Amino acid sequence: MGDHEASKLDYENHLLLEQPFLRLPFELLRKNFHGARYEVERDGTWIKNTLKDTATSAVNGRSSQEDVLKSLDSMISRMRGVKRKLTSFADEEARLYRHEAARVSHLGELYGMHSVDDVKYEAWSRTRLNRLLVDYLLRSGFNDSARMLAQERGIEDLVDVETFEQMSRVRGSLLKGSVAEALAWCTAGDTKKELRKMDSNLEFMLRYQQYIELVRPYTPAKLTEAIKHAQRFLHPYRETHGREVQQACGLLAVPPDRAYKYPAYRELYSPKRWEILADIFTTTHNTLLSLPSIPLLHMALSSGLSALKTPACHSAHPASAAAPSHSTSLALAATVCPICSTELNELARNVPYAHHNQSHVEHDLLLLPTGRAYGKASLDAYAKKSGLQEGQVKDLRTGDVFEPHELKKVFIT
Amino acid sequence: MAMLQLDEDLKKLTQSAQLSNALGHVDNIIDLLTNAREKIATANDPHTTSLTLTKLQNPTREGLEGVNEHLRNVHRAQTKYNKALTAAFEPKDKNLKGPLPTNHDPMADHPQLINRAIAMHLLREGQFGVASTFISEAEPGPEPGASQYQRQTRLPPSTLRSPTSPRSPTPTDATMDAEIPVELQSEALQTAFSDMYSILSSLKAHDLFPAIDWAHENAAELEARGSNLEFELCKLQFIWLFKGPQVNGLPDSSANGRSGALDYAQRNFSRFRHRHLREIQQLSCAMVYASNLGASPYRVIFDTTLAFDEVAASFTREFCSLLGLSAESPLYIAATAGTIALPQLMRFLNKVKGKNTEWTTEQELAFETPLPKSMIYHSIFVCPVSKEQTTDANPPMMLPCGHVLARESLQRMTKNGRFKCPYCPNEGSAKDSKEIIL
Repeated sequence: MGDHEASKLDYENHLLLEQPFLRLPFELLRKNFHGARYEVERDGTWIKNTLKDTATSAVNGRSSQEDVLKSLDSMISRMRGVKRKLTSFADEEARLYRHEAARVSHLGELYGMHSVDDVKYEAWSRTRLNRLLVDYLLRSGFNDSARMLAQERGIEDLVDVETFEQMSRVRGSLLKGSVAEALAWCTAGDTKKELRKMDSNLEFMLRYQQYIELVRPYTPAKLTEAIKHAQRFLHPYRETHGREVQQACGLLAVPPDRAYKYPAYRELYSPKRWEILADIFTTTHNTLLSLPSIPLLHMALSSGLSALKTPACHSAHPASAAAPSHSTSLALAATVCPICSTELNELARNVPYAHHNQSHVEHDLLLLPTGRAYGKASLDAYAKKSGLQEGQVKDLRTGDVFEPHELKKVFIT
Repeated sequence: MAMLQLDEDLKKLTQSAQLSNALGHVDNIIDLLTNAREKIATANDPHTTSLTLTKLQNPTREGLEGVNEHLRNVHRAQTKYNKALTAAFEPKDKNLKGPLPTNHDPMADHPQLINRAIAMHLLREGQFGVASTFISEAEPGPEPGASQYQRQTRLPPSTLRSPTSPRSPTPTDATMDAEIPVELQSEALQTAFSDMYSILSSLKAHDLFPAIDWAHENAAELEARGSNLEFELCKLQFIWLFKGPQVNGLPDSSANGRSGALDYAQRNFSRFRHRHLREIQQLSCAMVYASNLGASPYRVIFDTTLAFDEVAASFTREFCSLLGLSAESPLYIAATAGTIALPQLMRFLNKVKGKNTEWTTEQELAFETPLPKSMIYHSIFVCPVSKEQTTDANPPMMLPCGHVLARESLQRMTKNGRFKCPYCPNEGSAKDSKEIIL
């Protein structure tokens, strides 16, 4: 049956889902480093130049003693600022190292197991499910549940509550109609550079929305401000976003109360744009941090539901569908199939059932007059449990009792 | 062993590349500046000022250079680790290369069903606190600010079904209890599972009575399922009493030990007389060997080292089955099966890439996804002639000779109402073949 083959762990393939799991702390480490370097370079250059200027003017006798001391004081406080910032970058780095190490060692544990039937594997796989759940909860914005689940299971280092909370804060502010936090995120440290590298239109879209909001009140003062804003922030994009920039100019001629006549302008004034912006932000954020665009739980579930699903799981046949006692279960101790169980039954309707090249049925099948076939071992065990007379059998589903001569052997080829 | 190698690489990274290493240089610069300031302030003459400032230039520049040098180190180490990280996930099979398949997500349209599965999972795992937080977060609230995405993923009022009604296979019943608010339903589920956990914790403490009471209350359903849980529990209670105070740690009284066991048997076993006569006889016979059980043929029955764990496992299974739920969390099994089957799915998707095939539009997967035996729950019959799995529309048919084919194959072979079995010399007529349920 190749069963041994199926339960053996293929480590590399088993970790297909896990790349983002190790990627995220590392991408954050990189981001953290770039942030630190940006600060150090900026302040370092400033110190170097200030020191040089101070020295030159002191030597030339152009600056007073007082000026020199003042400038030294500002250099000292600037340098203390560098220290403060660098310390907090270093703390973040330590936290991310801890996360990465915890994750590598969690994945490494898998190598200590040989098959999915290993008891240690179950604990490992449960931790993986909890990770996937926390990821899903965070992506859906259920931050409190995510935090609680991570805490109760002691997997804080294996999940990314902080990152997603920060993301949902920015997202939330966009949905409330404010671009400030999203713009700050876009322009912080070297995010701007990274966004340009990936051809992101997020910043443009945010600036565009700012512009729309300036036009919306349609007062002369605001319109002037809007034009200034456009010159400064939209004009530079005229090559890449020509159509939008042109539309922006057109918008000046269309006050919101008359926009219903022009679908294109009506759309620009629509509050729906905030949702679009929030989605652009989420996509951009996830791409930047190498996060997959859909929750990993979705991926695990769609492939898992399909692999487990059989034609019997949604059978209209009252007999072969899952009743409390399961009709076509292979196992002697009839447990409910996970796909037939309430939790997943409806969800599994949306995926194909598994493909099998071989039959998987019980050994020594016997057909009862009810039209149902069971393995001899199951029938014997059930007869014994029910206290039947020697040779008699009882249908596991219908409860009918039959004499030995009523049974027929079934041959499965 | 990619992960073990990566572990080494990570150690190298964390040991060598630390931003905090640059702090020493920063401190130096602060000291240089502070000392210079003091010197200039104390001397208070232009000459010292110029001299100190000029002398300050190089050490400061060197200090800053030192900071940068450290940063460059960190950067180099990160680049190296980046390579190691990529290599660790580089699949040997070229059909598994490339990013995870995210462009078609069959789960995306059903956040409510997923949320329901999660809520039930949390309840069955006994995480009642998380479950109630989750339900209140996922419930549609009166917040106008909620995003569209979040609104989509909120539970509608009827997503948690009443757990006490046994599930029926028709999809219509999902709408039947639409009027029951979700909180009540999840409360009912929570009550059920917290009962289960309290009974389980008693079992762990070798107190069988709560479990026996439960089994007794549900005796009819359990018997219909072919479960003899109640008898197993009572039997264990008898054995446990029989072992006496040294083993069971219960007070040494007439209600314990051999007399206690006998008394218990007299009061309880009569209701099992019909179904379990032989076992009850065995237990009574064992009384004869009481002084020397270890050497008697009954020692196996009286070995309780695993008995409590076994009885707890079958209790959990029966408890969940009566709720129409599987004993193991379906979410757990599905996610585990999902990671086992994912390589096959990815191989397939990589092969059909660009052909615009959505794998979920077919009724059956186009590729095999082998799962361990413990994850096969139904009988699967593959017709030996057509190599197709039997379904409701194409059920298995048994020929008079006992061989089984799918109905469509049989119809194709039948001429004038008769056919010859492809596996033995027998001939038969179509009306003698019989649809069977495997």
